Amino acid sequence: MIEIRNVTKSYDKMKAVDNVSVTIKENTVFGLIGTNGAGKSTVLRMVAGVLEPEQGEIAIDGIPVFDNMEAKRNIYFIADEPYFFANSNAIDMQKYLTCIYPEFSVKDFYNYLINFGLNKKRKISTYSKGMKKQLALICGVCSGAKYLLCDETFDGLDPVMRQGIKSIFAGEMERRGMTPVIASHNLRELEDICDHVGLLHKGGVLLSKDLEDMKCNIQKVQCVFKTIEDEAKVIAALDIMKNEKRGSLNVLTVRGNREEILAIFATANTVFFEALPLSLEEIFISETEVVGYDVKKLILG
Amino acid sequence: MMSKNSFLANMRENNKRRLWVWAVSILAFVLVFPVYVALCIEKVYNSVEAIAKSYGIELANQVLYNSLIGEMQNALGFSWVIMLMTAGIALFSAIQGFSYLYSRKKIDFYMGMPVKRKKRFLIIWLNGILLYVFPYLAGLSISLIIAAGNGAVNGAVIRSAFIAFGVHLLFYLGVYHMVLLAVMLTGNIVITGCGVLVFSLYEIVVKLVLQNYKETFFRYYSYYGDDVTPVLSPFSMYAYLVDGVNRGDAGAFKYLIGLLIFGTALLVLSYLCYLKRPAEVAGRAMAFRFTEPVIKVLLVVPVALLAGSLIGNTVNFEPKSSMDGIGYVMFTILLVLVLGCAIMQVIFEFDLKGCLHKKSHIVVSGIIAAIFFMSFRYDFTGYDSYVPKPEKVESVAFIPEGSYLTKYSTYISDNGTYLSGQEYAERYMYLNNVEEVCEIADLSMENYNEVCNLIDRYQEHWSNATVIYRLKNGRKVTRQLWVNVNEERTVQLLDTIIGSGEFKEGYLPGISQNLKSMLLDEESKRKIFITYGNTVYREQMKQSDAVSFLECYCRDMEGVTFSQLKENVPISVLQINIEETVEVRRTRSWHEEIDIYPFCNESIEWLTAHGYYKDFQLNPEDVEKIQVSNYHYEISERMAEKQSTAAGVAELENVGLVGIPEAAFVEYYENQPREIYGEFEIDTRVYKSYSDPADIARIADAVYPQELIMDNYRWDDGDLQDRNYVVTVYFKSNSEMNRTYGVSASYCFIEGQVPEFVEEDTAYRGNGK
Repeated sequence: MIEIRNVTKSYDKMKAVDNVSVTIKENTVFGLIGTNGAGKSTVLRMVAGVLEPEQGEIAIDGIPVFDNMEAKRNIYFIADEPYFFANSNAIDMQKYLTCIYPEFSVKDFYNYLINFGLNKKRKISTYSKGMKKQLALICGVCSGAKYLLCDETFDGLDPVMRQGIKSIFAGEMERRGMTPVIASHNLRELEDICDHVGLLHKGGVLLSKDLEDMKCNIQKVQCVFKTIEDEAKVIAALDIMKNEKRGSLNVLTVRGNREEILAIFATANTVFFEALPLSLEEIFISETEVVGYDVKKLILG
Repeated sequence: MMSKNSFLANMRENNKRRLWVWAVSILAFVLVFPVYVALCIEKVYNSVEAIAKSYGIELANQVLYNSLIGEMQNALGFSWVIMLMTAGIALFSAIQGFSYLYSRKKIDFYMGMPVKRKKRFLIIWLNGILLYVFPYLAGLSISLIIAAGNGAVNGAVIRSAFIAFGVHLLFYLGVYHMVLLAVMLTGNIVITGCGVLVFSLYEIVVKLVLQNYKETFFRYYSYYGDDVTPVLSPFSMYAYLVDGVNRGDAGAFKYLIGLLIFGTALLVLSYLCYLKRPAEVAGRAMAFRFTEPVIKVLLVVPVALLAGSLIGNTVNFEPKSSMDGIGYVMFTILLVLVLGCAIMQVIFEFDLKGCLHKKSHIVVSGIIAAIFFMSFRYDFTGYDSYVPKPEKVESVAFIPEGSYLTKYSTYISDNGTYLSGQEYAERYMYLNNVEEVCEIADLSMENYNEVCNLIDRYQEHWSNATVIYRLKNGRKVTRQLWVNVNEERTVQLLDTIIGSGEFKEGYLPGISQNLKSMLLDEESKRKIFITYGNTVYREQMKQSDAVSFLECYCRDMEGVTFSQLKENVPISVLQINIEETVEVRRTRSWHEEIDIYPFCNESIEWLTAHGYYKDFQLNPEDVEKIQVSNYHYEISERMAEKQSTAAGVAELENVGLVGIPEAAFVEYYENQPREIYGEFEIDTRVYKSYSDPADIARIADAVYPQELIMDNYRWDDGDLQDRNYVVTVYFKSNSEMNRTYGVSASYCFIEGQVPEFVEEDTAYRGNGK
């Protein structure tokens, strides 16, 4: 488990991360979302032990991470622009990482290279940007580290590759309890990968929740009530987060599980009723609007 | 705990990232070193071949071994080539090794890895040393094998090679750690480069500023002991160390220790900075924000003050006599302060707009510069008004500037090393007449304004002396004084000071115990060549004779006073050349000239008794002809002044003074043609040849060999050569002098002692008529 407690970090006089507290549980895929400059990379770099927090503490499985080998052996950090040695190829990287990570799986490394179609002898500098990200991910997965910190690593990967990596993650999570932490500014990139999501904004955490919980606890309903009384009765009974009315059509975002909500609607007369699935984006919009943020601006631009 | 295997594996991986540095180091040492040695051997063989052809194989074989050994000691020992290679590799290695600190990408990669920071530092640092040591030793071994194959190795060569290796390694560590500190303090390679320059030059700049300001503002400032050579620099420590080792000076050991301490201190500082350095500073100018204003002020203030001082020199700013030109100086200081602060801020921010930020730094720099300037202008430290009270002074050394009171000589320490006149006096002159020296200092201070207003102080008989006061509290104070050597009271004081035995002991090389010890040391392998004479008539003197003679000379000089020296010119000179082999092919030599004056009665008696003394400067019987040239410098200068204006030229033409006096010119240049002669130059020279024995005898009575008499300056303002006259003596073709000395010799007249008939014969009459 990664515990980030009241962590603050400033660059010169500008606070990049302000009193952030997040807990990342094992065996989940944690998505760290935020706009550019929200502090995602800074949080990941602190978790990786690259940066030292000014305040607060970060512990990996209960061990402080900064300059601590015991903790860092459990982490592999893939930066937004992964670095590879000058004039090196995949074999050189494998040799280096084998020397650093005792658990590095050489066999898996070469298997993955074949599966992803990467030539182990080709100079990495001649790889495309996407190929470099694939190689960085393969290095991370094969390092044997429990926590894989990926900073914008999935941005720009094609759907097939994303699917491939998703299945590798699933396999590694199942096999050895690997916990990927993925930072991205794009909600849509994370939707199909993450189990748990944390939203960062202006250096602070707006929310951190389990994706499934969020999906289960928020419902979107479209309906046309027969009478104004029916409408008033239902609205009074629901925990409405958002209500948009287009003529006689009500579009409601409602907190609660599907069964409870259907039961409430059953007590009133409706001309039209439909319960719709919510995208991660919509869930975030609803959740954050409640606390006064316009997430469309934050995440979708 | 780090495992040995993992450490070695990390070292190996790190070295894979440093192949370029290895390549450069190997190229420098493993290739260049042996090739250089092979070329040196080849050169020796070639020169020996030439010797064999000219002088026979036996002599050549004798020379070969010594030449090879000497050449190898040079090639494998200390050399500026190895020093430069060492400094270059140290710079390259330190920057390349820790260059990941400049890049965020690399920092994210390396610092994200489970490697402890101290372990990473140790690996990179150690590899940085190994990549110097291994190629050096490999190159040295190959070179020694090549040399051994050519019979050019003995114990001395191996010893020299390994001593040089040790010293070069220490020097490498000094430079390596200096660059390392620059890397740790900065965030990108350009600023690191600037940092290395600052570390290398800062001390020199600060010392130059202090020296310039002391010289500009303080009337009694003495350069002696105020060296600008940096102390905290591996380069100067290396230079001192090599010099000391070459001279066999045990004192060189302190530079070895100094280099070691310097290197270690910088390593510790670098390591601390490395640990404290935040990862996010990659790419920034300075790694630590708090250093920015400090470095800015520390750099800008001395540079501004130095610029002010340089402009002051250009506009003849002489605050000791007037404040003319201070405006230019102040403006320059201010301008450089503002520009310097702006430029530094632009560098710190990497933004041109940054030049307008942090104006408070300009104010702080300005205040510091102003305090510095004022402290010199108003002498806050009291440096310039300080003359120690006689009761607080233990002893004094009074050193007439350079060695102008006597002729050219070198000063030797008791272990045979060179010393300057001041160093010799500081070591050997312990004057007890402190009160007289303090009084001279007071007189100098009283009359200083007079000195300042003189155009040529030396012409006006003000001479310069360095005084070293040794205070009872152990401190030493050094001042420079201007002394009016013609003023009555000063002459009295100088008679007492210069007349004292302590002065002579610390000033006259002729009575030096060190010289005597060298002459007496019969076991040494020194080559000593001694001649006595007046530089034209000379005879070789035996070493044992010279020792006896110097004893008489010491007794003669015991009672001599300043006035006696001032009123006399030397009549002969004892010239001593000493050469000593320090190591194979490395020699040191000394040349002493000991003047003998007419008042040296016992010396003259001794010389007469031993058949050395000659009671003439020129024997008329040896002379065929004497040619006297009178240059009439004063007339020449006056005419040159007139020639600078059109009216003056017309006036000269009217009286027929422009042009070359043909008769004299033809006569003189018959045998000595001159290639170019200015068309409009006024030649005021007048020549006269004398071949009549009576004339020759009269001139011979009045002349001295040119080498014997000082030509343009005497500290005591005594008699000099008359620069207008050049006397060329032609010896008879069948004379002994013609065979032993040459066809002719240069003589001179003493000022005011030119025979009247010569003056008349060579008087200037205009246009050669």
